Amino acid sequence: MEDKKTLMDVEPGMTYTIKEINTDDEMNAFLFRLGCYTGEPITLISKKKKSCIVVIKDGRYNLDSLLSNAIIV
Amino acid sequence: MNMATIIAVIVLVLILFLAVRYIYKEKKKGNQCIGCPYASSCQKHSAGNSCSK
Amino acid sequence: MRIAFAGNPNSGKTTMYNALTGRSEKVGNWGGVTVGSKEYKLKKEYSGSNEVIAVDLPGAYSMSPFTPEESITSEYVRTANPDAIVNIVDATNLSRSLFFTTQLLELGIPVVVALNKSDINAKEGTEIDVEKLSEKLNCPVFKTISTEDKGLAEVIKTAISLAGTTQTAPYLQADINLHDKNAVDAEDRKRYNFVNKIVADVEKRKVLSAETNSQDKIDAVLTNPIAGIVIFAAVMWFVFWVSQAWLGPLVADWLVGWIEMFQEWVAGSLENSPAILSALIADGIVGGVGAVVGFLPLVMVMYFLIALLEDCGYMARVSAVMDPIFKRVGLSGKSVIPVVIGTGCGIPAIMACRTIRDERERRATSMLATFIPCGAKIPVIALFAGAFFAGASWVSTLSYFFGLVLIFLGALLIKGITGYKYRKSFFIMELPKYKVPSLKFAFKSMMERAKAYIVKAATIILVCNTVVQVMQSFNWHFQVVEEGAENTSILASIATPFAVLLIPLGFGVWQLAAAAITGFIAKENVVGTLAVVYGLTAFIDVDELEMIGGANEVAMAMGLTSVTALAYLFFNLYTPPCFAAIGAMNSEMKSRGWLWGAIGLQLGTGYTVAFLINQFGTLFTEGHFAAGFVPGLIAEALMIVALVLISKRVRSHFDEQYELHKKTAKAAA
Repeated sequence: MEDKKTLMDVEPGMTYTIKEINTDDEMNAFLFRLGCYTGEPITLISKKKKSCIVVIKDGRYNLDSLLSNAIIV
Repeated sequence: MNMATIIAVIVLVLILFLAVRYIYKEKKKGNQCIGCPYASSCQKHSAGNSCSK
Repeated sequence: MRIAFAGNPNSGKTTMYNALTGRSEKVGNWGGVTVGSKEYKLKKEYSGSNEVIAVDLPGAYSMSPFTPEESITSEYVRTANPDAIVNIVDATNLSRSLFFTTQLLELGIPVVVALNKSDINAKEGTEIDVEKLSEKLNCPVFKTISTEDKGLAEVIKTAISLAGTTQTAPYLQADINLHDKNAVDAEDRKRYNFVNKIVADVEKRKVLSAETNSQDKIDAVLTNPIAGIVIFAAVMWFVFWVSQAWLGPLVADWLVGWIEMFQEWVAGSLENSPAILSALIADGIVGGVGAVVGFLPLVMVMYFLIALLEDCGYMARVSAVMDPIFKRVGLSGKSVIPVVIGTGCGIPAIMACRTIRDERERRATSMLATFIPCGAKIPVIALFAGAFFAGASWVSTLSYFFGLVLIFLGALLIKGITGYKYRKSFFIMELPKYKVPSLKFAFKSMMERAKAYIVKAATIILVCNTVVQVMQSFNWHFQVVEEGAENTSILASIATPFAVLLIPLGFGVWQLAAAAITGFIAKENVVGTLAVVYGLTAFIDVDELEMIGGANEVAMAMGLTSVTALAYLFFNLYTPPCFAAIGAMNSEMKSRGWLWGAIGLQLGTGYTVAFLINQFGTLFTEGHFAAGFVPGLIAEALMIVALVLISKRVRSHFDEQYELHKKTAKAAA
């Protein structure tokens, strides 16, 4: 198994496919409704130490590091 | 008692009456914060107690 | 007939509702502005001969609620049986919005889809085939621009004509066991596939969302951990400076001139009347209410600027940039929104906490949000800045930023007391597209709130001032108080016991205590009562005050030094808010313990801040501690003991809870 890369480990400006999301049940369900679930594309627009900005479907979101570390791409 | 006093008393009573009536009416409607533009959304909490009490 | 407005957050539901009903409910360019349902009848031009009630609902991404405000929406459309649903769809994010749309279509209630924000799509060259979409969804679809009233009439006309019919859903959820998580997941995936197929069919995009655009460049600066915070501080400082030091006072000076002329005229006309009547009308009503209304320009300018700020899309970025800092003290980035709204009024600020998902963060935020001075506290700040600090603008800026500091300290305290219950607190905030703020909306919002301010001044404040004046003019035997025997008045005898408690804070006189107490009814009352008990109105006439040379009339009458004046100002700013806001806190927290904790915390904070300012301020300026240092210390010690006791109790509760669940958690607690 290759090591898991989270959103925090990859380069910004690219689109990735979500492989896994490891939050709690409720949060997973919420992300799902935004169109953020395994198999869907996610684009990393920019990345900072503690947060990042992503595009999911046609919306831009700011995620904190906790959440972006839970999204494996 | 001069004219000014009489007018003043009437005006005073009228203003107070109107103000109190307005407050009373709003309170009866359930509005706790008089004049607050958000009052309507404040009372319609679907969950839990409303602002009243 | 009832028509419900439902859709994703920040799709423009409330803007459309306002356009259709003529109301001015709060709008803003971020998700989660509307946190409760509102209803009002449609304007005649839209409803025709029917009586139609529009119901505005908080935004939701789906029928399964995630935050408290989302559950209001799903509960309403499920149980209240509206005659029709207008589904507002953000046309710039069709692929996400249709998920909720397909769920709404399953309810059987006729749905009309309003493709809102079509103007942005036109600008970006995104084309949506409305007819095809309508066919696929099996419901009417219209392009709308709710900020310009475009397309709204058709939407409403169609919704009214469809009322009572039954909607056939284009996509029906299969019969599955709703408790089986995997089955639900699979179903939801199928639904999304269905939506994706529709979107691929009807939407043609010239600009892909994933491409970096100019807005991302702005975001890069505004969400930068350092630059973003500096910019936020600068923006807020600018708002306070314009409203409270430059433009606001400029207009206020002019307004106060007129109010004073009117008061003099009234006093002159009542020359030959009994003194008590003249006092009641000229000082009590005209003076007291006038003192409050005189500050209206400051409040209005502030509301206008805040409305612009809320409209442009900046708020979501502020919340994103503040999240790491707020998280450190145990709050969430979303706590910033209540803080900014709190500069207008504490009640909507407390309600805005509903968008915070974690209960402890939500309660802590609603407990602390009122440390930010609200619009009603502006007159108090301006009065003291003008009378004791020559109108210095640093007083108001300091009041706000010190409020923010208190929020941080308070949050740390709550975190300490409750024993940090470690729970992963994820933060996700949609960053809406920037837009040029609408001057028209800001103006409307300002006028609406100015009206509310005047209504409040003319009712609650007026009655309170009259009562204060009467209580001050009579003693318990209902005889008019003689000059020089003011201490025998009803007001004095009621307020004196409280005044004693305030001696360590440097303002233990009954007049100031009375003003602080009436402040709990409405904070403007502090100014109104001071005007009444000291017979003053020229509160913000800074130029005139300066002519008297430093120790001006107002300052002399109150007998405060600049140190005690600052202590008194801060005491009023950071004690519990008005009763209405406490009521809002009660209904949001849904816990007696938390409510009393909040009131206790606020009282303690106000007392402590004033105590420290007075004692140490006096120590620096005069070289010795002020009166009542030891009793004050005892009071502080008692507060600390209370804190420790509460903390112990709360923590032992947690230990019990953890032990019931798992043994390992105990070490963490």
